[in-house]
Amino acid sequence: MMIMTYFELKKIFSKPVNKIIFIILAVTLCVVSYFAIVSVGYVDENGSTTTGIAAASALRKVLEKNAFINNSEEYLSKDVTENNKAYSKKQGFSDIRDMINRAYGGFQSYNYYRADSVTQEEISSFYDRRTANLAEWLHSDEQKQRYSKQEQQFLIAQYEKLETPFYYEYADGWKALLEYAPTIIMLLVLITAFPISGIFSDEIQLKADSIFFSAKSGRNKAIAAKIKAGFIAVTSIYWLTIMLYSGMVLAVLGIGGADCAIQNGFSNWKSFYNITYLQDYLLTVSGGYLGNLFILFLSMLVSAKTHSKALAVTIPFMLLFMPSFLSGISVLSEVLGLLPDQLLQVCTAIKTFNLYQIGNKIVGAVPIILIMYFILFCILPPVLYQVYRKTEIK
Amino acid sequence: MKLELDNLTKEFGRFVAADHINLTMTNGVYGLLGVNGAGKTTLMRMLCTLLKPTDGNIYCNGKDIFKMDGEYRNLLGYLPQDFGFYPEFTVKDYLFYIAAIKGVRPAVARKRTNELIFKVGLTKVADRKMKKLSGGMKRRAGIAQAMLNNPEILILDEPTAGLDPNERIRFRNLISELSEERLVLLSTHIVSDIEYIANEILMMKDGAIVNKGTLDEIISTMPEKVWNCLVPQQAVSSITKRYKVSNMKSDNHGVYLRIISTEKPCETAECVSPSLEDVFLYYFGEKVGDDNDVL
Repeated sequence: MMIMTYFELKKIFSKPVNKIIFIILAVTLCVVSYFAIVSVGYVDENGSTTTGIAAASALRKVLEKNAFINNSEEYLSKDVTENNKAYSKKQGFSDIRDMINRAYGGFQSYNYYRADSVTQEEISSFYDRRTANLAEWLHSDEQKQRYSKQEQQFLIAQYEKLETPFYYEYADGWKALLEYAPTIIMLLVLITAFPISGIFSDEIQLKADSIFFSAKSGRNKAIAAKIKAGFIAVTSIYWLTIMLYSGMVLAVLGIGGADCAIQNGFSNWKSFYNITYLQDYLLTVSGGYLGNLFILFLSMLVSAKTHSKALAVTIPFMLLFMPSFLSGISVLSEVLGLLPDQLLQVCTAIKTFNLYQIGNKIVGAVPIILIMYFILFCILPPVLYQVYRKTEIK
Repeated sequence: MKLELDNLTKEFGRFVAADHINLTMTNGVYGLLGVNGAGKTTLMRMLCTLLKPTDGNIYCNGKDIFKMDGEYRNLLGYLPQDFGFYPEFTVKDYLFYIAAIKGVRPAVARKRTNELIFKVGLTKVADRKMKKLSGGMKRRAGIAQAMLNNPEILILDEPTAGLDPNERIRFRNLISELSEERLVLLSTHIVSDIEYIANEILMMKDGAIVNKGTLDEIISTMPEKVWNCLVPQQAVSSITKRYKVSNMKSDNHGVYLRIISTEKPCETAECVSPSLEDVFLYYFGEKVGDDNDVL
């Protein structure tokens, strides 16, 4: 079995066209990593913007300095004037400003300058404003119909469960990493589809099928070896790329902030998933892996059934781009939240309010898609095995 | 080793590719003769479990081959007509891989691969990629893969097609050498190959075995005689319309014809011993083309 698997992998990795595809993947990895790294920016006191390593370093220094000021005598003094002196030395940090803007704007609106007008009295209700905004939005005429009482209670309970005050530190490395993670994961599934889709159909295309199926293990172990090779190839290509991407971005931008709640900052402020950046990352890469496995095994199944690599390669493209065309149809919004493309962008899915009722329990889309596609993926290899096993050479 | 075909039938829609074939084969070389589309490949594919029959059964030593599954395929070596391979594999890699899917243990596979590479004369190119081999070399690699598991049943579909005369003779001798103590079924429409190496000949037409026996038995079944005669060029057209002509050769004196007929086709005709090619033409040489054609 091991030898068969080795040769199946050799079939995949020795094809000249696949070698070109792996070069394309490497280039894609470098480009996406570069964009992730330069997405972190810092504007200094002269108005000049820096990005990448320099920005990350500057931001860390700013936060260290702010933390130092927070522990200074002036800041800890009971005298308001002394406090103001300390406050005047601190530099503004856009994340905190964004959160204040979000908390004191409406749930669906954003006022860029709201932070400038927040009073000292108002600031004490900073965390409560988040839940209050949600409740206000849920009770609006527009949303009353959309969410049931139970769903509304679930969302408010999730908001209230969020641990406050926030633990806050520099987390731009994780933010940049997660911002571009769906891009690299989606490109991975599209690119990997090319070498993977040929595992089963190439036997027929190369006319090697007669010898393959007339061999002793041709209708059992040799097929299992193909499935195993597919699994190894998908797994190794996925994790190697993800590790390189994560390594490059985090090495440059830093790993600080892993324990910060994702609601820190602008983009995940509204999320009802109470997780940290590290948990978000783990969910995103695990979901991406499951999505890659599911979609690519589906491609292999199409390849085994139709004997057409061209048709099999289109499966990931269809699954990824079809939801974009259907997104305008509002009645499909609940279904769209459960399509496999969501697995490839868990860090985006956690921002959406897709809720589902299972029995008496309300659940978000993310745990459902993780469990559902894990079960569906477990079904695929035996189906694939049976379909290919029944191949007839006509 | 005994293979029994019991009422074996294969239909593709309304087309009957194998028509109620009943046949028993034991050790020896069987030559399967028939025109293109006679059903030879379909029959061989069923014997290799690549196709399931619409009706009927194939038994190997009394057991249904489709129920035997891997146990039957373990006895089988197959060289298909369209021999496909993995272009990026070297000859050695290719044979190691096929040995693995044939369930040959790695140590045995290594030994057997080296032996067969030597036997089929591919030692010098053992590390060359399959895509860089000549047509003859590929066929030799094909026969080597078929022999990897030392099969008791060897099925060769058009093994000499596309080979030059040297390669064909070499290949024919190789098959003869490998045919000892096993059942070999060899399909071809190159009649001389069958004449040289087959112990028993199976003639297939429209999905059915229309005749079988040794070379002499097959030849003796032909009710017509074979005649050689020299005729003037202008007489050729009328003769070809009336008789089956198995050979035609022109020179300065006229045209030498080999004619299959019960009656003497012309005064100068001389009765000669029939060959398998004459029998082939007798059974399969249907009149085609226009009424006034010559060839």
